[in-house]
Amino acid sequence: MPETPISGSPISGTARIGRRRAALLSVLAATTLLTSGCAGWVRDNLTQSPTPWRRVQPAALPVTLPDSRDFPIVAARMRDTGAVYKSYIVVLGNPTVLPGENRLTIDVQTLPDSLFGALVQPPRVFPVPLYTMETLLATTKREFPEMTVKVADAARRNRYGDYDYVTAQDGVNSCVLAWQLITDHKRMLPERIEAVRLEYRACGVGSNIRAMLAPFDGLSLTLPETVLEAQDLGGM
Amino acid sequence: MTRPVLLSALLLAGIAATGAGNGAWAQSSGGARALAPGVKVEVAPAPGSGSAPAAGKVDETALRYYARIGDGERLEAEIARLRALDPGWEPPKDLFAPQPTTPGVDETPFWNLLSAGKVAEARAAIAEQRRKSPSWQPSDKLLQELDTAESAGRIRSASDTRRWQEVVDAAAAHPEAVACNRLDNAWRLAEAYAELKQADRAFDTYRTIVSTCPKAKERRDTIFKASRYLSPDQLRELTALGATANPAKGEDYSTVRTAEAELETGRLLERLGAASSGAKPGALSAADLSRIQGIVRDKQDADGAIALGWYFQKQKNFAEAQSWFSQANGWAPSDKSAEGLVLAYNGLGEKAQARAAAAPWKGKSSRIDQALKAVDPPRGAGGGRSGPQGPSELDRALARQDFAECLSIIRSSIAKSGPTAALLQQRGWCLLEMKRPSEAEAAFAEAQAMAAREPAKGGQSAGAGGRTPAAAGLPQKATAAQENAYGQAVARLATGDTVGLTRDLPRANMTPAQKAEIRASLMATEANRALEDKRYNDVLRLLDARKELTPEPRNLGILRGWALYNLMRFDEAYAQFKSVDDRLSTEESREGVTITWKTIYHDW
Repeated sequence: MPETPISGSPISGTARIGRRRAALLSVLAATTLLTSGCAGWVRDNLTQSPTPWRRVQPAALPVTLPDSRDFPIVAARMRDTGAVYKSYIVVLGNPTVLPGENRLTIDVQTLPDSLFGALVQPPRVFPVPLYTMETLLATTKREFPEMTVKVADAARRNRYGDYDYVTAQDGVNSCVLAWQLITDHKRMLPERIEAVRLEYRACGVGSNIRAMLAPFDGLSLTLPETVLEAQDLGGM
Repeated sequence: MTRPVLLSALLLAGIAATGAGNGAWAQSSGGARALAPGVKVEVAPAPGSGSAPAAGKVDETALRYYARIGDGERLEAEIARLRALDPGWEPPKDLFAPQPTTPGVDETPFWNLLSAGKVAEARAAIAEQRRKSPSWQPSDKLLQELDTAESAGRIRSASDTRRWQEVVDAAAAHPEAVACNRLDNAWRLAEAYAELKQADRAFDTYRTIVSTCPKAKERRDTIFKASRYLSPDQLRELTALGATANPAKGEDYSTVRTAEAELETGRLLERLGAASSGAKPGALSAADLSRIQGIVRDKQDADGAIALGWYFQKQKNFAEAQSWFSQANGWAPSDKSAEGLVLAYNGLGEKAQARAAAAPWKGKSSRIDQALKAVDPPRGAGGGRSGPQGPSELDRALARQDFAECLSIIRSSIAKSGPTAALLQQRGWCLLEMKRPSEAEAAFAEAQAMAAREPAKGGQSAGAGGRTPAAAGLPQKATAAQENAYGQAVARLATGDTVGLTRDLPRANMTPAQKAEIRASLMATEANRALEDKRYNDVLRLLDARKELTPEPRNLGILRGWALYNLMRFDEAYAQFKSVDDRLSTEESREGVTITWKTIYHDW
């Protein structure tokens, strides 16, 4: 709105001085911000980088697992990537003498809560699709060296819907690697959660694959926001 | 550094597709010559000179630009190119004199952007200029260079994301982008063919490079690159061609000739390593073994001798293993060779010799302290077993580095006679070797707790509150408690818990040597993280601080090189990579040297 100068009025004079002072301060602040680059600016915004892993108590995990003698929780860690991703690793006991840790990993992708957050997002911490045949092959080779690996023909279901898995076996032990991407916003996920990715790796003695998958089948997500289970689980 | 004039005039065989999806080298028109069936090399014109200028009129824009920025090599190449186009042309006498601005628009800013790799910005600046001066036209040379740079960018980007067919298509659309002076793109094209299972075309591409690009080093690097995809016979052919075809004056191609032998040695050592680790026990024939022994002896290669030592140790041929570990230790003393020596002597039952071999490193190297456990198995911090003499089943498993067996034996021992602090600690070390650090940390913590409950014995303290043996200036020997704390720290490092570990380290009950080792590892981890975060000054700061604690290993030397490179301290980066490469040349060190060199000399 255009100003109407009222000369001589002490009130209007004060107002004008006030406005000029405010404008001057704004310019000064802007200049300070611009010129402070020499000492107070770094090239990359590290808020988008993953933080180092930090240990958390099992009680602080966003998941509960059924009690298991073979696969107890040994340790838990978490890290953030930007304001969007939270990742958790739950290390489980490994009753075999095979290399590698048994674990459940959970990545929670939330929606940014500001325009800036929407504009500056970290790269996605998990690929979609979660696996291709090539990446699955490379992963199983790394996870289960010298074991016979088989991709399960049919998916299985847990509380959060279908998931896929591979099995690996040698003469004594069996292992499973299962993965799941939850993106059902109609029923399962609250508005703020974009996706949840789960991956489970377990090796045990013997050949009972169902027993090895039991923790994954029975897990329950306890995120701060409500995640509902999928319907029609057939009594699971 | 001078570059043969011919270099910039050599186009790596045109890749114009000979059909849909067919990325064969172009059947170039006049001026092309066949070097091998199906492969042709265009001799002129140079990159970016798609159409010849009108007779009697030579485009000197690029020439003057190179003169202005003082790039002698490119200047020389450009002169040669222009002479090839017009034999009667002579370089202008005022090439280095300050030039009045050419009528119209000075193109320097666009060339500067192009040189800095800012192709999109250069295009935008040209468009803006044209908006201001509609009658102005950028020079053909500038436009061609922009096209070439864009194609090169497309090739790099497609290759980085493994879109191999796109690499081939982009190269076919713009063959100039894969010339000798853009060798990286030529390598990427060959790799794309190989990944697309077009082995013949991959081979043809490598063959064209080694027979046309004149620099011996580039030919040699090409052979190393090709070794990932080609058969030994093809590599042999490539080496022969690289050592003889189209030699350039002043180049020494003997290094090309030796590449094949080096590759062969590498392959044999790899197979030896696989055989030693038990992955493929029968993978090495007697002839191979004898050959590699000869090579290792000739080159006095300590790492090769250690690999041989482990091979024989795995075969339980302890005498032969001892001989190779001794040899390695003689050539280049290290805790790695001493470790093998300790275990080989132990396998022979010569415990005194084993202890003597360990003496120089005892308390200084965790590797040696671990190996000594096979010689003098821990009896438990508080009494433990007083078992019979001679290597136990567990010792033998450790000597074989069979850590799965270690876990089995410890499990059955615990099931039979209950846990001891020493057994739990050993379980921790074996779990660490099995890449199960979280369980290892728990095992060390359990050992710690158990040691605190067990009554202290001898000079060693058993619990976390135990006294430290640093008194009277004696060399520090870690107590059981310190060993457990150290084990936990190593496990935490492996799980990536750097923040927590940094916080807890000052209060941790460890010997100063153990603390220094963990601190150095923490700084190395943080330096790696800083590099990923592009905090290059931090990388150098951390590496410098680490170097005060312990010598810098080669992987961190390479890291330092990349930090310097990214800070645009190219000369220092080159010196760093070169010093690492001169000691032992690997793919990583060669890559650092090559890329830095190319950056310094604008040789992309």
